Order: sequence, then structure tokens, then C-alpha cells
Amino acid sequence: MAVKKDYKDQKLAEKLRDRKYYIPDSNPGFIKEVEKIGQTPAHMCYQCGTCTGSCPSAPRSSYRIRLFMRKAVLGLEEEVLTDPDLWLCTTCYSCTDRCPRDLAPTDTIMAMRNLAFKRDIVPRNFLKTAQLIYQTGHGVPNNDANRAARLKLGLEADPETTHKHPEYLPGIRRILDHYKLKENADRILAEGE
Amino acid sequence: MSNRHQYAFFLGCIAPNRYPGIEAASIKTSANVGIDLLPLKGASCCPAPGAFGSIDLNVWYAMAARNVVLAEQMKMDIALICNGCYKSIWEVNHKLKHNDELRDGVNEVLKEIDMEFKGTVDVWHLAELYYDPKIVGIEKLADSVTRPLTGTKVAVHYGCHLMKPGKERHFGDTENPMWIEELVAALGAEPVQYRNKMQCCGAGGGVRGYDLAHALDITNEKMINLQEVGADALTEVCPFCQLQYDRGQIEIEEKFGVSWGLPILHYNELLGLAQGMSPDELALDLHAIDVEPFLKKIL
Repeated sequence: MAVKKDYKDQKLAEKLRDRKYYIPDSNPGFIKEVEKIGQTPAHMCYQCGTCTGSCPSAPRSSYRIRLFMRKAVLGLEEEVLTDPDLWLCTTCYSCTDRCPRDLAPTDTIMAMRNLAFKRDIVPRNFLKTAQLIYQTGHGVPNNDANRAARLKLGLEADPETTHKHPEYLPGIRRILDHYKLKENADRILAEGE
Repeated sequence: MSNRHQYAFFLGCIAPNRYPGIEAASIKTSANVGIDLLPLKGASCCPAPGAFGSIDLNVWYAMAARNVVLAEQMKMDIALICNGCYKSIWEVNHKLKHNDELRDGVNEVLKEIDMEFKGTVDVWHLAELYYDPKIVGIEKLADSVTRPLTGTKVAVHYGCHLMKPGKERHFGDTENPMWIEELVAALGAEPVQYRNKMQCCGAGGGVRGYDLAHALDITNEKMINLQEVGADALTEVCPFCQLQYDRGQIEIEEKFGVSWGLPILHYNELLGLAQGMSPDELALDLHAIDVEPFLKKIL
């Protein structure tokens, strides 16, 4: 008959009976949140490292996608969301293409970035792009030098987008306001000043 | 007129606002092979999948869906010229068509601006329409060439967001695809292979804005690999990759002290040259890296 494996130290036994890696501030619910947003079962990762081996960011930084996958499963929420390396993924999807478990590590990273943003942890450039879209409808808006070049090409100075049709901007702002994106971007940027 | 194909032309940001020659070339070159690109009025940024997807995927879905709905109202499929736009517009369209919960959530928001995503149109990258024999095909493309790019070696950068993740797309092999090389060969140029062809340009995911030196280091690796095979130019199908390779070379020079001088051309600019468009008609003077060495070989 199988004997249940146990330790003499009752406290330790209790900790280790928890099948999740146990540290006081690990959040077992974290991986569930990440999987819900990323739409990929990240806990299926068996840590083969194909992702890090495929990653263009890995050879030139301390960013390790495999490590992020593991930390997510272990619920190391604080550590993951405050790690500056989280923002070094170029979203090239090489890891996702090659993952032998058919997971999407890229989307797992995106999910963790979304969760970081909810706690106001986000690089400034992302917020500035959001502000530009709110103002103009474009992340990279037109400028005078480009308008002159467009005219020379026989194009109109402003393209047939929100640039030529600003009447579409209120609708776009309504969508962004629905998610309080502009409000949050303005606030976080101001707090960082 | 009957065998012409019409699409709502989704412009994105970088092409119309930084490399307008790509926009002009796309309209003219497509018309020459039977594709009419009609303006998609009031379209916005796709929105940038790295910048927006990273901070709030729900905003990304809703904003991209709004662009798709504009085309639904025109009752027309979308054609576009940028991999980043492809990821946003194609992928959101695809996801909303197959995920009712997601679609309902997006439609709740779109209702506030009297719009509804119905899932009635498809989204295409112009390059795949050129390759598709039912629409254009290599033969027709080659027939449209009036100034073959004979004697030039052209390398292809596929970029990431057109074909990857391969499981969710329809382009087949993503490790060593060759279909854009076929599009290049149709213009009379010699496509050249190089090390690590599928590597990212380095700019995506917001990394260009977050850590420029990191992004440029990835770009620089590509430049090294391209020099090894003596490419005369690099062609791509993504204006954001073009920006990273073109302006990036100037930034690489400033930051790393290496000068490559490799001309970068969007496939539609290359096609424009092969169809006899002049450098002025393509606004090639707006490129940060002088295209002249490449032009000398063909003009």
C-alpha cells in the first residue's frame, strides 16, 4: 500500500503539500488571470527553452521568455509585473511558432503587460502613442513636410483617414474614453513628471 | 471592368504619413494589375498591435473593429500594405468572427457610436493578392513589368505579423518561406537568401520606443547578414519595418558608428520602379538611406 509522503516538520509538510511553489507572496490566481487575457494555457509549458532559443531579444539582454513563463505559473506576480524586461518582447511570434506545446508565449507576455498597465506600470512611449491616437486618430500623425511631399506626388495633403475626415474623431475618442485610456495615460504621465 | 477587383484601401499610419510614395505606388501599381484600391474614409491607426495590444487588448479589439466596420459599410473587403495593420485588422476580424463572447463585448462598445461588427468582409495584404493567381498571380505581375530590375540582387524581409503565428494564419511555412522571393523574381531581380531571414526588424512590440539601442542592435544583426550576401537592396511589405531599416541605419551610425548604406524599398515601391514609375513619382528622396546606388543599376 502506498504511503503518503510526508515530513516530520509539520509546518514544512503543510507548505509542501500545496502543489504550487510556496512563497508567502505568490499568487496562485495570477496564472489564471494571465491565461484568461492571453487566451493560451501557459501552465502547460514544460520549460524546454525553445522560446528563449528563438527570441531575438534574448542574446542582447537579460530578457528570458522561458523565465517569464515559469514565473507566471508560479504566481510570482509582483516580480513579473515590475520587471523592466517584460517590455523587451518585440512580439515577433517566433517562440509561438516553434513552441512544441502549441502555446503562445508572446500572448502570455501581452497579457502580463495588460496586467502591469492596470497597476500603472507601463513605459511612457506606450502612453504617448495612446495620446496621439486620441488627438489625431493616428499613432504616427501627418506633418507639414510630409503634406508637401504628398502634394508633389499628386496625393491630397491629408490621407483619406481621420486626417482628412476629422468628423470621425469623436467616435474614436468615445471608444478610448469607454476604457478610460486617455484619462489613465494623462494621469500616469503627469504623475511621472 | 468585370475582371477587376475592388478593395477598401486601409492606409495605416507610416505609409501615408512618413513614406507617401508607398501609398502612391500601391494605388498605381495595383491598378496596372487589375486591382482598384478605394479610399476607406475615416479609418484610424489600426491601432498599432504592440503599442495598444500591450496596454489594453480590449481597446485594440474595439478600435480595429471600428476600422473593419467602415469597410463593412462599403460592402468591400479590405486590402492593406503593412504587417502591423495586418495583425490588427486581419486578426481582430478573424477573432471576432469566431468568438461570440468577444464579438458581443466589442459590439457593446461600438453601439455607443452606432456601429456594429457583422463579420461580412475579409482582410488581405496586397502582397498576398499579388501572389494569388485568382486575383493577380506571378504571370500577370511579370506581364506588368516595363523596366525589368535585371542585374540587381534583392533580399526579402518578410516581417513578423503577416505570417506569424503560422498556426493561426494561412501562409504555410514560416521558417523559410519563398513566395515573396517569387514576387521579386517576377520583376526581373535576383532574390538572394541570407542568414536568419525570418528575424524580426527589432522595432515591434513597442521596443523601438522603449529601448532604441536594443531595437537597433537587432536591426544591425540583419544588416550584417545582408552584407554577407551582397544584397543591393532589401525589400519588405511593412512600412514600420521599412522605417526601422531605413531611418534605423542612420541611428545605427550615430549610436554604433557603423554605416551600411543599404537601400530599403517597400515591395510596392520596387514594383513601381519595375512598372516604369520614376523615383520622383515614388518620393524616394524621402528615404533616409540614398536609393541612388540601386537606381543606377536599373535606370
